[in-house]
Amino acid sequence: MIELQCYNKSRPRIDIQLVSGILGGLIFFLGSSLILPAIIALIYGESSWLAFLITAAGAMILGAGFFWAFRPREELRMREAFLIVTLAWFIGSLVGAFPFVISGALESYTDAVFEAMSGLSTTGATILGGVTSDGIQNPAIEDLDNSLLFWRSLLHWLGGMGIIVLTLALLPLLGIGGMELYQAEYSGSTSDKLTPRIQETAFLLWTVYIGLTGAQFLMLWAHPSMDWFDAINHAFSTLATGGFSNLNDSVAGFDSVYIEVIITIFMFLAGINFAMHFRLFSGDVKSFINNREIRFYTVITLLFVVGVSGGLWLIENQSFGDALRYGSFQVVSIITTTGFGSYDYALWMPFTSFLLFVLFFTGGCAGSTGGGIKMIRLMIIAKNIGREFKQIIHPQAVLPVRVGQRVIEAPILKTILGFFMVYFLIFAVGALIMSLLGYDFMSAMGASIASLGNIGPAWGDFGPTDNYAEIPYFGKWVLLILMMIGRLELFTVLVIFTPWFWNN
Amino acid sequence: MKILIAGAGEVGYELGKVLSEEHHDVTILDQRQTCLQRVIQNLDVLTVEGNATSPHSLVEGGAKSADLMIAVTSVDEVNIIASMMAKRLGVNKVIARVRNDELSQSDSPLSPSELGIDVLIHPEEAAASEIHLLVKRASASDIVSLADDRLQLVGLRIEQGSKVVDQPLEDLASEFADLQSRVVAISRRGGTIIPKGSSVLKANDHAFFVTKTEHLKRLIAVTGHDNKALRRVMIAGGSDVGRLLAKKMCEDKQKWQIKLIEPDEEVAIRIANSNRDILVLNGDPTDPNLLVTEGIQEMDAFISVTDDEESNIISCLMAKHLEVKKTVALVSKTQYVPLSQTIGIDAIVNVKASASDEIHRQIRQGMMLTLKALQGIKAEIIEVVAGKNCKMLDVPIRDLSLPEGAVLGGILHDGNVEIAVGESIIRKGDRVIILALPRAIEKVDQLF
Repeated sequence: MIELQCYNKSRPRIDIQLVSGILGGLIFFLGSSLILPAIIALIYGESSWLAFLITAAGAMILGAGFFWAFRPREELRMREAFLIVTLAWFIGSLVGAFPFVISGALESYTDAVFEAMSGLSTTGATILGGVTSDGIQNPAIEDLDNSLLFWRSLLHWLGGMGIIVLTLALLPLLGIGGMELYQAEYSGSTSDKLTPRIQETAFLLWTVYIGLTGAQFLMLWAHPSMDWFDAINHAFSTLATGGFSNLNDSVAGFDSVYIEVIITIFMFLAGINFAMHFRLFSGDVKSFINNREIRFYTVITLLFVVGVSGGLWLIENQSFGDALRYGSFQVVSIITTTGFGSYDYALWMPFTSFLLFVLFFTGGCAGSTGGGIKMIRLMIIAKNIGREFKQIIHPQAVLPVRVGQRVIEAPILKTILGFFMVYFLIFAVGALIMSLLGYDFMSAMGASIASLGNIGPAWGDFGPTDNYAEIPYFGKWVLLILMMIGRLELFTVLVIFTPWFWNN
Repeated sequence: MKILIAGAGEVGYELGKVLSEEHHDVTILDQRQTCLQRVIQNLDVLTVEGNATSPHSLVEGGAKSADLMIAVTSVDEVNIIASMMAKRLGVNKVIARVRNDELSQSDSPLSPSELGIDVLIHPEEAAASEIHLLVKRASASDIVSLADDRLQLVGLRIEQGSKVVDQPLEDLASEFADLQSRVVAISRRGGTIIPKGSSVLKANDHAFFVTKTEHLKRLIAVTGHDNKALRRVMIAGGSDVGRLLAKKMCEDKQKWQIKLIEPDEEVAIRIANSNRDILVLNGDPTDPNLLVTEGIQEMDAFISVTDDEESNIISCLMAKHLEVKKTVALVSKTQYVPLSQTIGIDAIVNVKASASDEIHRQIRQGMMLTLKALQGIKAEIIEVVAGKNCKMLDVPIRDLSLPEGAVLGGILHDGNVEIAVGESIIRKGDRVIILALPRAIEKVDQLF
């Protein structure tokens, strides 16, 4: 990223002006996207259009001002990139929260930020429909203006859009995010960076993303119980693997096998690396099918569908059709970290519930919109464990860890093990804080992993039919920070809080 | 023949020695004074000090009038450039050692001939192929395919108690009438015997048979070997030969179970990374503890190909002691070859010999299709085409007077192979397989 001719000795280590300028541009973009829900408000004759326009105007003026004042003149460097990515999600949520408050739908700004971060990080945890710790009754989902519901889904969709570009174009350059593993996996091409320039890469990936969203929208709209508004909300939410629905009962509210199947398929697709989708659509079926991560992802998904559906069928005595329907939907919903509900899994018997709980620690493929630990990391860690056993038998053997033909070098292996450790550490800290706030074992653990893994619904007090409203403000901030950390692949955020980031 | 050899390293030296003994005019070109010194002191050749990539040095070495140039410096690139220059300077035929196998592959965008190279040789590759064949055919010490793979020359140790011991060859021929094979040479206590009908095979002899490919298995059984296929193989040393061998075995249809021991960590990692199906161990291949931990006693074959030939012999002995069925050692000192067979190592492979075999064959390649030196005996196997000037046409073999020290093995006539017997007749255009002692080769050549 650093070109020699751009090197400027007088330039500060972290160029705050440059950071502000780029963030200004991003805020301007977010502001302009607020015009869409304003239009929805006008269509449905809702008063909230004003809230959107005020926020849009404020964000656009502020963003444009910053962008113009600190026009980016220099190449972005590593530290600035970390700062921009983190602040983009954080400030984005702060701004995205305003329409909820200005329109009067939510009284508490913290709740609004929680909802916005839950949207932008594609988590799907909500505070709607509950009573907050200081006694405010938040409106139920269906009581909210359509424009605000649309804004929630749009936040998902924008978050997904951002994360695709981030993980496929920017993070590999910074050496995190799991995509560095993909480089040179396929003979000939050097990486999954489809074109050398980030802008072009982003454009191609977004085309795929928008295309899939459009396809799902049309398929959902074809069903009589969905109008265009339901269809667009669910399409946005599915492709971003978010989980916000505009119904109180989530997808269960439609009670349609067709809709559940379509959503399951698109959730599964959204959990696959978008660069691989691009290859597939450009005719390269072979590398899509031969991709080890996709194979692993498919196998794991099928295994869990068999386990959960089998449990529902044989132990819980549901009919085979129902067991398959609810089991597969719920497995895909959680493995992709979407978090839609077609059934209250908290009511299932321990075996199936536990299988789902294990799934909370998985996540989709690297380069997808899914959060969590991700398939590629789990696969490599599993292989590494196998290797350790073999090493005990053959102490002097040289045993490389392979993904397909590619050998995973020791430094990458170390990064992945580090990620794993840090992930569980943060999960533990999150759960500890929740338990300090008085929540039981499963609720505390569930809330922590559901936020960190960007899933949304959890266990106990935060099951699929419950919400996060009752948590004290401090707890909400903790969870929304967890969402951000999880969404941005841990290190992107955490590195900012290390002394080495700020010192030389 | 005027021959220019570029590079006075091991192979260059060995070639210079062999070729000068065969009365060729040899010039050796090298820029290292010390290497040339050794050549001057030991060999009857001319030396030129200079760089093989310098046209002046090449001309000085006689490139303008040479019939053959052999580029065997240690650097691929130097060999290629020297070949290109030599060809332009008018050398008739150019042989170059190129270790990188990219050029020799069929999909290579540039063919070797476009670089002025007539023949590419890769000694390590040749040695690896040889070991590969030996391991595939467990009991044989040497295997040479003849007549497009339809005949095989195979060296077998005659085991105590086998049916062929202490019987004259004539009697054997009638006893095993349906087993078409013929003993062409016997190595006994370091000496070579060209057998007659009355000769007798003794236990621990090393006998060389020519046989039809389809009869090979039976022949091996008759000489007292169980023809069990090997499966578990341990390769000591990840040198070029070891690496190439492992690669070849991985590409085999047969599933091998391969363990490779390499002392250098980086080399070990590189081999482990490029071969999925072999278990690479980083350790000393002569360390008995390691060998035993890794189960050498359960191995079917032990192949020692480290750069240190003494340890190759020692570790093979150790393996033999632990009852490994087949041991192969990479040994380059020719003095060790007879010794190794006496002490029980099953086969010896020699990189330099492989290289000079190959080059030798190329030099003689007018009439002769195959020429191969055999380990442990001082004879060579030759495959020739009977031309119209051949002095032996249309007469039964028993009436021919072959030169002393030469024996007919087989005849390929109109696509049919037959093992030479008394009644066999050579016709024009037949391919004839002959085993000959060095002194007889020239006479054989004249006959055809």
